[in-house]
Amino acid sequence: MITKLSELAEKAKNSGKKTRIAVAVAEDSNTINAILQAIKDDFIYPVLIGNETKIKELLTSDIVSNQVEIKNITEPAQAVKEAVRMVRNEEADVLMKGLVGTDTFLKAVLDKEQGLLPTKAVMSYTCALEIPKYHKLLFVSDTAVLINPDLDQKIAMINYSVTMARRFGIEKPRVALISATEKVSPSMPETLDYALLCKMAERGQIKNCIIDGPLDIFLACDPGSLAIKGIPSPLEGDADILIFPNLESANSFYKGLMLFGDAELAGLICGTTKPVIVMSRSESEKSKYYCIALSCLMAEEK
Amino acid sequence: MQISKLDQMFDVLASRPKKRLVAAWGVDSHTILAAYMAVEMGLIDATLVGDEKLILSVCREHNLDCSQFNIVHCPTDVKSAALAVEMINKGEGDFLMKGLLSTDRYMKAILNKECGLMDPGAILSHVTVTEPKNYHKLLIVGDVAVIPLPDLNQKIAITNYLIKTAHILGIENPKVGILSASEQVLPKIPSSVEAALIAKMAHRGQIKGAIVEGPLGFDMIIDRESALIKGVDSPVCGDADCILFPNIEAGNTFYKTVIRLLKSELGAIVMGARVPCVLTSRGDGERSKLYSITLAAMLA
Repeated sequence: MITKLSELAEKAKNSGKKTRIAVAVAEDSNTINAILQAIKDDFIYPVLIGNETKIKELLTSDIVSNQVEIKNITEPAQAVKEAVRMVRNEEADVLMKGLVGTDTFLKAVLDKEQGLLPTKAVMSYTCALEIPKYHKLLFVSDTAVLINPDLDQKIAMINYSVTMARRFGIEKPRVALISATEKVSPSMPETLDYALLCKMAERGQIKNCIIDGPLDIFLACDPGSLAIKGIPSPLEGDADILIFPNLESANSFYKGLMLFGDAELAGLICGTTKPVIVMSRSESEKSKYYCIALSCLMAEEK
Repeated sequence: MQISKLDQMFDVLASRPKKRLVAAWGVDSHTILAAYMAVEMGLIDATLVGDEKLILSVCREHNLDCSQFNIVHCPTDVKSAALAVEMINKGEGDFLMKGLLSTDRYMKAILNKECGLMDPGAILSHVTVTEPKNYHKLLIVGDVAVIPLPDLNQKIAITNYLIKTAHILGIENPKVGILSASEQVLPKIPSSVEAALIAKMAHRGQIKGAIVEGPLGFDMIIDRESALIKGVDSPVCGDADCILFPNIEAGNTFYKTVIRLLKSELGAIVMGARVPCVLTSRGDGERSKLYSITLAAMLA
């Protein structure tokens, strides 16, 4: 079982495999620096798509030509298209965003004919957080994509997070559905969805996990709080996954922990046929490296 | 003592101080005979509000000792209902019973905002205690008669009435099954969604004093085997004390099936008013009317 992000990187390093990553518009130091360490650690083989001159300026001299491939496409939208095409045609295992607007990038990913999202699939974002004060990794969704997920989208978020946690070796992850309280109340609509999700898991309509909610963060992650309140929860205050009711709460949770709690993360877009990396510039070098390692783990055929 | 047969209510009730029934427009032989039987058995005291002449002639016709009743003369059905309700509000009676007047008029008197029997926000609903043959215990069900399509709040109220009735019958931690078409939560079947909500509320202690499970198909509520085959392992399955129905059609069909096809007995009352209200229909058998009066007296 992987309990630290460094172990995730170790696993990628020791896999003996090189995951092929198609990087769309790899023309900024932010993107290049993130992949340099992974190249040196020998677990990725990037295809850098964009303006060749700019790309070469950014690559350090110790990178030799058989460690990367460069495709010279100067028009960003075309570069993105080519990167997506490569992943579609299994010429690459992972798609990564470089110096291109998220809109342009996601438009190509979501393209009905030529994109990476299966019909009717939900696109969502899950990240694994390493928080010094928690005894294991905490998977959190949706920190970046779904603004106000409905019931079906919440089911997708749970399934993606469970799939990811299972790749980390957590056989039957404990999923906490986060709200401000543990009570089911029509005045807080997410608590109604949560009650349904719990029962769906109980009935085998959502598989491979134990779900409880509504719960607040204390009841989800602190057995002491659970005991004080006397609430019987199958999660026993030992959650692996936190599902948030909306983007604002999930986003603030992880950013708060990064800023004040020295947390690191590894996150990915889920729901696509292959992993898609979209990193925010504000993330630390380490977290960017972990995102790439995570994409390698998730790209493995299972 | 846990009551598992309707007859057992008599012994329990007989050992307690007598409750006072007030019958609104209790001028017909159905109402008078049922009340008389309960009085004769020493279960209750009864006041009949209605036209004295009519009451006395029914007593004569059936050879009843009219001195067993407290008779309050009142010339019309509507006035009798209002007077009966007023007596309850004055503390001169402990529970209400419908006589020969229409259900509409009876309910109107109960629901009257100024001088009825309702507290603000209270929900009036019907609870039926059935004794189905082939089942090992009583089944307390609702709502089969008053609320056509209960919303979530009303369902929570009904669930609490079922639980309260079970407690009164000595069933300490009753098992409540919430009926839907199957055990799955399917957003296109609203009853399955509300069942899951109520079950979770009970799990969180927002509904107390019972084990609540749902959604469940009817087979799974009354038969443990059926539940296990479908992978549902709940103490409620096969041993339910109470069933919450999603709508009046399902509930009404169930209770009529119990009476007509299984030839089983029942007792029924309306809950949610300040006192229990008996609402028997003329189609009910003598025994069922007696059970309804007894049940109301137990809850009063």
